[in-house]
Amino acid sequence: MTLELSRQEADRHKPKGGLRAIISRPEIGPIGVMILLFGMLGYFSIPAAETTWNPFAGEGFNALGIRNNLRVISQLGIIALGAGLLIIAGEFDLSIGSMIGFAGACMAMTLRWGFSIIVPYLSFEGGAHLEFYTLFHIPDVSPSLAIFITLCFTLTFGWIQGFIIVRSGLPSFIVTLGGLFFLRGLTEVSLRSFNHRPDQSKGATTVTEIPDLKNLINLPGHGEMEREAAKYLPEADLISIVKGLPAETITKITERLEYTFQRVAGAKTDLMIAKGVKPLERALENALESNNEFMVKTIQEKITNFKIEAVVPKSVTDVDIARAYIDTISTVQPIADFFGGNILESIFDWLYFPIDWNTNNFGNQFAPGLYSCVMIWVILSLFCYIVLSKTQVGNWIYSTGGNLSAAQANGVPTNKVKISLFVFSAFCATLFATCQVFEVNTSDAAKGNLKELEAIAAAVIGGIVMTGGFGTVLGIIVGAFIFGLAKEAFFYIPGIDGSFYRVFLGFVIIASALLNENIRKRIMGNI
Amino acid sequence: MVSSTAQPLIETHDLVKKFGSFTALNGVSLKVFPGEVHALLGDNGAGKSTLIKALSGVHQPTSGKIFVEGKETRFNSPRDASEVGIGTVYQDLALNALTSVTRNFFLGREMKFGKGPFGILKMNQMHDIAINEMAKIGIKIEDPEQPVGTMSGGQRQTLAIARAIYFGAKVLILDEPTSALGQLQQMEVLKTIKKVKQLGHIAIILITHNEIHARLVADRYTFISLGEVIGSGTSKDLKGDDIRRLMAGGAEVGDLAKELA
Repeated sequence: MTLELSRQEADRHKPKGGLRAIISRPEIGPIGVMILLFGMLGYFSIPAAETTWNPFAGEGFNALGIRNNLRVISQLGIIALGAGLLIIAGEFDLSIGSMIGFAGACMAMTLRWGFSIIVPYLSFEGGAHLEFYTLFHIPDVSPSLAIFITLCFTLTFGWIQGFIIVRSGLPSFIVTLGGLFFLRGLTEVSLRSFNHRPDQSKGATTVTEIPDLKNLINLPGHGEMEREAAKYLPEADLISIVKGLPAETITKITERLEYTFQRVAGAKTDLMIAKGVKPLERALENALESNNEFMVKTIQEKITNFKIEAVVPKSVTDVDIARAYIDTISTVQPIADFFGGNILESIFDWLYFPIDWNTNNFGNQFAPGLYSCVMIWVILSLFCYIVLSKTQVGNWIYSTGGNLSAAQANGVPTNKVKISLFVFSAFCATLFATCQVFEVNTSDAAKGNLKELEAIAAAVIGGIVMTGGFGTVLGIIVGAFIFGLAKEAFFYIPGIDGSFYRVFLGFVIIASALLNENIRKRIMGNI
Repeated sequence: MVSSTAQPLIETHDLVKKFGSFTALNGVSLKVFPGEVHALLGDNGAGKSTLIKALSGVHQPTSGKIFVEGKETRFNSPRDASEVGIGTVYQDLALNALTSVTRNFFLGREMKFGKGPFGILKMNQMHDIAINEMAKIGIKIEDPEQPVGTMSGGQRQTLAIARAIYFGAKVLILDEPTSALGQLQQMEVLKTIKKVKQLGHIAIILITHNEIHARLVADRYTFISLGEVIGSGTSKDLKGDDIRRLMAGGAEVGDLAKELA
């Protein structure tokens, strides 16, 4: 008997063709759920009276809906990237949420009260007690300095956590759980002690009254002031501002304002017609029900003859032009604007005029643009994608989480990789806090509560395996989309408690974890 | 092929390693020549592992000398050993099953554009090298993106060996490469070893329990028992019975057969 062994072991690994190759990709499940949620958010947010197949007709995907949804998604996305990369390297971080609170408080406090280094020492004059010596004090901290100071604290803390974990071999769960309590407590303690001042309510754990830095403008002849304050200067001042503008600018602004006023007037007219016709229509229905033909005829006549005088558009005054011009002046604090301002403003302007899509029911522009955190998320995602799948570090991250001893045997500096990722996770939390502080100009010790778990959940939904070594940045992005969309979509389902989104996400998390484990086992050759 | 006139690639002279009061190696001498498979045989606890750890720089010998290409050398770390061309393929193979063939092949020594750990990987070039290097010792891989976890045990062994050779191993230490494999895969690994031998410039130290496997590929044998060399010779000198007797630590196989009967 002769045995022909022409088949090779490699032949058993046949590349899958066409549709099967698409279906067996690890991202396909999450992407399916994401599309489902897109549909849900679209259709459930359409007002009950309208029937349409266009999912973009509802509140979920009008200009303001997109602005708000993308904010929720991108904020979560930022921290999910930090959490996800760390999980791929085989560790995870429970201190992200507390880190957000801490970073926000640190930044808000330095912006509000300045930064100083105070050295305590023991004094024996008049009995032993502690005295404090102020080494230096910076009363006016610029946004970039505030961010720098905060990063010094948060990145150091991330480094310390990572260092303890790699040196002691303790599970990251317990070390970062310590970090969670430590940082949250530290935030509350420091906010209370700082608020122990005459100008703040005693013991509050919030920082308010930070100037709206992103809207600080330099108005010629008036110096630096907030945009809103500038708009309500005495009218004479505003008119004198217009006098100094080039004619081109004035025509452009006037054209735009005329459009807005017309649009507002048109919307008002429509509203009044609707108000006048609605009672008649209701009466017509009643009349039809009771078969009163005479009434039906009269009411129908009334409806067809119903006329209302169109609202006359406001005329454009110099004050209007000045206020519109103040909106176009760019800020003197570009850093604050970069993190807390809006992006794509010119596109959203264009969508209002001349496109007339970004318009609310009263004829005004709906959304001024997207939140800056969307741009920061996009930049960070791009960076993470390149690092994880295209660079040497990416391979090190995968191998550190996939097989630690193999990585070490091949000379990968696994400890450095892990510590760097703890620092990166702290960096992402700080970015989150920075966007929030500059956007709302307040900070609260409770900020970021439970965000660490949301970030881990988003990463798991996106196909990251908890044991490490497996997952993609695209997955993390999809996970953030699913989490954010679910939050919004369930809000619109009629007659349902908004918290059902948590129930739904619970299912999704477990289903994703099962799916991920299945894929991992298939790759490891255990199935 | 076996030529005692050539210079040995690696040679140990009276190697002694003590762990406190325990003598793991008690004066081991052996010579390994290029293009040869040198089988290191012995029972569990005989000192094979200590010997290869001394050769690969994990342990520093208490006394005795190691010569690489005739020069006396001391290894203070595994890195020192790999720098002079000693590549060790351990049983766990040091592979990450979750990533691709190429990523494993170049793990820790990735080719990249630019300096620093953030250098962009030269993926296509690495794919080509990984496929070619594995083909040289007899395994054809269709898809360099294939995760290592989906490869057979034999293919993984080949990957680890090809990797060691590509990164400059002149002496290849294989630690029980055929254990924990199926029959076909064992043969695959032996074929790979034969291919490496045919390259001509690489000396292979093969640690194994399996006498049949040793006889299929080995040119030279060293038998170790209780930390000492109890016999050595070329494949021509030694008869099957000798090998079996020496592997059992010097006991007569005839006696064993009687005891077992």
